[in-house]
Amino acid sequence: MSDVPLDPEQRQSEPQHRDTSAQPRRNFLEWLLGVVVAVSALTFVAPMVAYLSPRRTRKGTNVLMGSDGRPVPYKELNTNPVVAGVGVNGEPTLVVKYSGEVRAFSAVCTHLGCLVKWNAAKSEFLCPCHGGVFDANGVNVSGPPPKPLKRYKVFATAEGEIGLEEVRA
Amino acid sequence: MPIIRPVLNWIDERLRIHAIIRATLTEYMVPANLTLWHTLGFVLVTCFVIQVVTGMLLLVYYVPDTGRAFDTVKFITNKVPYGWLIRDLHAMTSHVFVLAIFLHMASTLWMRAYRTPRELQWITGMILLGLVLAAGLSGYLLPWSQLSYWATTVATNAAGSIPRIGHTLVLWIRGTPNVSQYTLGRFFAMHVSIIPFSILAVIGMHLLFLRLTGIAVPGGEDKATVRKVPFFPHMVTKELASVFGTLILVNLLIFYFPQVNFPEDALIPANPLETPAHIKPHWYFLANYQFLKIVPNEFLGIILQVIVGVVLFFLPFLDRGKKSSRLYDGVFYTVVTLAILGYIGLMVWGYYS
Repeated sequence: MSDVPLDPEQRQSEPQHRDTSAQPRRNFLEWLLGVVVAVSALTFVAPMVAYLSPRRTRKGTNVLMGSDGRPVPYKELNTNPVVAGVGVNGEPTLVVKYSGEVRAFSAVCTHLGCLVKWNAAKSEFLCPCHGGVFDANGVNVSGPPPKPLKRYKVFATAEGEIGLEEVRA
Repeated sequence: MPIIRPVLNWIDERLRIHAIIRATLTEYMVPANLTLWHTLGFVLVTCFVIQVVTGMLLLVYYVPDTGRAFDTVKFITNKVPYGWLIRDLHAMTSHVFVLAIFLHMASTLWMRAYRTPRELQWITGMILLGLVLAAGLSGYLLPWSQLSYWATTVATNAAGSIPRIGHTLVLWIRGTPNVSQYTLGRFFAMHVSIIPFSILAVIGMHLLFLRLTGIAVPGGEDKATVRKVPFFPHMVTKELASVFGTLILVNLLIFYFPQVNFPEDALIPANPLETPAHIKPHWYFLANYQFLKIVPNEFLGIILQVIVGVVLFFLPFLDRGKKSSRLYDGVFYTVVTLAILGYIGLMVWGYYS
């Protein structure tokens, strides 16, 4: 192996002997190396993405669960006009008896996710965080909330619990 | 001890520690007109060290489980010897950390020290600001109190207003539709590993860029003609004075103003079925919170804040050139003054609203 001269001028004056026929092979090897590194990275990244992917709760019909983690009996509405619990998809839910009708709404304010409270005196839902107000139909009437509360169909299940079903808009 | 000198010499021959000390302390020349105000960078490093040390100690007893987190924090505070001090130091230093980085960035902005060749210092500074705020947000949830639960709910929900991807983004941040055990796990991992290691790496880059470009000379004096002094002892004594000043501030907060970090809702365990009235974020998010309240459209409120962030991030590429006209300078300083006053005004408004 010949020594490369340290003096740059001396190096420039020497004739350049480069094997140009090796260039396509070199390009191919560089490309192949890139592919191998990319595939290797993907084999690490894909499981990581799956590992971090959010947990989705089940959808569809559900029953209202109380703060004690047990289903709330439908007859509870006979003594209590407002029942709070966890409903469809684990969403905090308010079941309200209003004008003889039982209505259920997601308690999650559509502004920034605080939980609304039923104000029986004014027949409206009020968000304690930013003062959003929804009427008895869950429609946003004042404050920052951009859309109505999510509404559920309410029914008594065969086991006598408060059943909820998402109402598709 | 006769053995120590040969051992030190043996180590020095291999690691050249004396040469490094000379290059970074006694032979490192800095402008003589640097004041205490220019020691904020060292204050930030001190805050980071305090956070790491106290954070490691808190990890000994803290359990990131929704059923136990609040009780373990209570246990640290009430039962572990000096646990209250370690916890308070960690919590209060986080406030001083944010305050110092705000002042450091505002000072750089006012001096326009982000201009060529210090663009990368500004950008790493902006990344550090984001990381420190993220550390504050993620650490807020860990005690699993009413305050932490609902402040995190509101803060993470803000991302939901982005059209199309907002809902998915919130889901990925929280791990579940609502703030839950999965959210606590994610925030805990970010708070104790991802964010601190990132901060350490970015501080390293920031200091490297600082050494490569040199410290900006205050008052616009010429770098070549300004009088210079060795970093040690001149600047080191100033840095130490700032560090002790910082420690005094932290201790004043711990002993005289504990309610800064522990309002009533911070003393009640999280209840996902009951939102407390008038929940508010920490002071350093109050301006963003109030801005979201006063802008009628939530998406617009977030987009405007993102635009401000992007403009600040790329400021070195927007405010170019060493010399500018008096009119340009006048407009620049008017805008910066109004922006800083507006930010403080929103913060105060958010506090009293």
